[in-house]
Amino acid sequence: MSKKDAYSQAGRTAVLQNIQGTLQFLQRFPPFNQMEHNHLAYLVEQCQLRFHAAGESIIKPADGPVEHFYIVKQGRVVGERHHVTKPGTETTFEIASGECFPLAALLGERATRTEHLAGEDTFCLQLDKAAFIRVFSMSEVFRDFALRGVSSLLDQVNQQVRQRAVETLGTQYSLNTPLGELALRHPVVCAPDTPLREAVGLMHEQQVGSIIIVDGQRHPLGIFTLRDLRQVVADASAELTAPIERYMTVRPFHLSPQASAFDAAMAMTERHIAHVCLVDNQRLCGVISERDLFSLQRVDLVHLARTIRHAPRLDSLVSLRGEIGQLVERMLAHGASSTQITQIITLLNDHTVCRVIELAIAERGDPGVPFSWLCFGSEGRREQTLHTDQDNGILFEARDAVEAEAIRARLLPLAQQVNHNLAQCGFTLCKGNVMAGNPELCLSRSEWARRFAGFVREASPENLLGSSIYFDLRVVWGDEQGCEQLRQGLLEQVADNRIFQRMLADNALRQRPPVGRLREFVLTRQGDDKAATLDLKVQGLTPFVDGARLLALAHGISACNTLERLRQLIAKGIIDPLDGAAYEEAYHFIQQTRMQQHQRQTRENLPYSNRLDPDSLNHLDRRILRESLRQAQRLQSSLALRYQL
Amino acid sequence: MNLFAWWRPAAPELDAPLRRRLAALPGPAPLGVCSLREQRWVVLDLETSGLNLNRDQVLSIGAVAIEDGAIALGRPFERTLHRPAQKTNASVLIHGLGPSALAAGSDPAEALLDLMDFIGDSPVLAFHAPFDQRMLARALKDSLGLRLQHLFLDLAELAPLLNPDTVLREAGLDDWIARFGLEVQARHHASADAQVTAELALILFSQARRQQLDSPLQLEQRVRQWRRRKAHHHSL
Repeated sequence: MSKKDAYSQAGRTAVLQNIQGTLQFLQRFPPFNQMEHNHLAYLVEQCQLRFHAAGESIIKPADGPVEHFYIVKQGRVVGERHHVTKPGTETTFEIASGECFPLAALLGERATRTEHLAGEDTFCLQLDKAAFIRVFSMSEVFRDFALRGVSSLLDQVNQQVRQRAVETLGTQYSLNTPLGELALRHPVVCAPDTPLREAVGLMHEQQVGSIIIVDGQRHPLGIFTLRDLRQVVADASAELTAPIERYMTVRPFHLSPQASAFDAAMAMTERHIAHVCLVDNQRLCGVISERDLFSLQRVDLVHLARTIRHAPRLDSLVSLRGEIGQLVERMLAHGASSTQITQIITLLNDHTVCRVIELAIAERGDPGVPFSWLCFGSEGRREQTLHTDQDNGILFEARDAVEAEAIRARLLPLAQQVNHNLAQCGFTLCKGNVMAGNPELCLSRSEWARRFAGFVREASPENLLGSSIYFDLRVVWGDEQGCEQLRQGLLEQVADNRIFQRMLADNALRQRPPVGRLREFVLTRQGDDKAATLDLKVQGLTPFVDGARLLALAHGISACNTLERLRQLIAKGIIDPLDGAAYEEAYHFIQQTRMQQHQRQTRENLPYSNRLDPDSLNHLDRRILRESLRQAQRLQSSLALRYQL
Repeated sequence: MNLFAWWRPAAPELDAPLRRRLAALPGPAPLGVCSLREQRWVVLDLETSGLNLNRDQVLSIGAVAIEDGAIALGRPFERTLHRPAQKTNASVLIHGLGPSALAAGSDPAEALLDLMDFIGDSPVLAFHAPFDQRMLARALKDSLGLRLQHLFLDLAELAPLLNPDTVLREAGLDDWIARFGLEVQARHHASADAQVTAELALILFSQARRQQLDSPLQLEQRVRQWRRRKAHHHSL
């Protein structure tokens, strides 16, 4: 190296050292933490650092097509959108340190739709469009992030969720076991020129669903399964004497014996195949079938539902509860959304409730009067988690008060037993006695109608707290017609009653989402807790649930599920589609966070709690949680505006 | 022969390429009435062997350009100077430049020429600028026989001038860094210091614009006034 080269090299090192700080800063945030080092270094070298004083406009719609990509290095950027209906603006989003903007406008080669202002004194890294395009074309990670924007953040969260669940599953289900260690039978094999009839004969003899076609060195050439056989039989021209190689699936998918049972399960789900060959050094050493894996997993949804529905005794139902927990964990592992999971829990809980009722009737004898089992609150909304209370009631038909009294007397002992048995199955008894065994909740249709009319007519802020759960009702067992009539009556009364709506709105604003202007989260300390926490259910989910209920009731929407209510509100044009989608995503994320916490508490033998210390989340989750709570805040301010509170 | 030549140190002997480069250096441009954003600035930070203006040496140079109102992250300037004779003294505890780093440094004449190329005709910003100005002036004279004529603007004057409500007595760079919540990667590392000083400059320029001081000339005149008023105030 010449002296001059050495100097320029030294200069180069110095430059690298100086951008090192910025590099290290960016490496704390996605997608930069996943980018290749030289791509990230290129990005930083091309950046300018610019200062924006609080309140200064950084980009605005009038600037025309966006020319730069920005990363907040220090400070806070807020998005302001002008109200369509009235003067003034509202803050639609906040961009904190490590986050970037405006991806959609930059990629769409258009102006931004939202003015971006410095929320406080802010430094932004600024990359010009040419360099942005260069990084975009070099780095797959960056491209992926840019194209999918925030939804890719959520994807990353889901990947983490999956990863964590997989880790714990491994120990419980030994899905992490290397395939080679599973005691599997030797694969049934034959040569490619074996006649089809002979090969199928071998499969039949050995009672297996697949045969692997190998050459002289046991290299797998193809696979023939029962599914292929079905095709052959269906094909009129097929000849049973022809060599099997004509009908086999060539180059079968294979894994090494070191791959895990989970890898095999994922491959099967992804490729829609039921068999995976195990190949070591290019030689066939085993085959694993879907059935082999199922015997490892033990629980599967359909099977579980069927088992619950046909449980012979109460104690078998009680023992099945644990399996629901395991199923939830597995669903999380397979990337199921919180909505799917709450619906599955609700479905299985419904099955349990039905079975408990049927068993109680079988035990005590049929009361001889038709009745419907109602549920309220989260069960009514199909939003149950494993942490669930009983909120139920009974609805029956009666001609008059005297008959109603007589029927009630017959149904109450049965109802009380059902409540008791459900408690044994893990449905905690309701502290407020909102249970079918309570004479006030075992009512004829006209008694229920009176009760609902009373809720609406005599509403006060205090009794609304208790009565709002009744507005989320559905039938779990029995005829559904009476309940629908009740609901229609209720919707008609609410639609006309602006004062009642306003009171519901007031009620929906009671729980303020725990995000502050300056601090990330507004936390409280419970008793002698070490860490300050927030309540995911009461402070996070309740604003969405209450808001969606109010708007649904006020607009004649009979759905009870919060997300379904939001969708119908969008369809009716009551909520802006973009807002609705944001609410849905936010609600979904908070629910998911809550369920993960419950799963963890179960594993650690702790009581269920909805209180979360945000510091226990990783950076990404914390950021999304904050954003989700802000969406709750936005929903509340739109209610405040609508009802002029 | 000049009468005074006997006490003036001999002009440094430079080889031809360096002499050509020296001749091609632009002088400083006079401060204009363009906007602060249009003006190119160079933020300078020197690490020296001590605080004695006559005896101590420049050991390393960090500089960052502010162009179009922003810091170009990929193009900072940094040189450690070849100072074989430099004895290790207490200042090593501050700048961390040990004998081996200094022995491996660039030839001072070349490094200083590179710096003057980097500065071009731009005005220079520094925190406690008179110190950097005089240290650099002496180094240029010793190594290149060049007289430093560039204008230096002192951020240690500009900061209190623009923030009259902030009461900081004898505030140093660290105080202003803390005041504005800036993050510094490695204090007393010339290019990191230049970087954070440049960030401070961006904040101060933004404040200046809001106080209707949007040209380098206005800014410089205001600093002069402020200095006079302060001197007057002290003499009372």
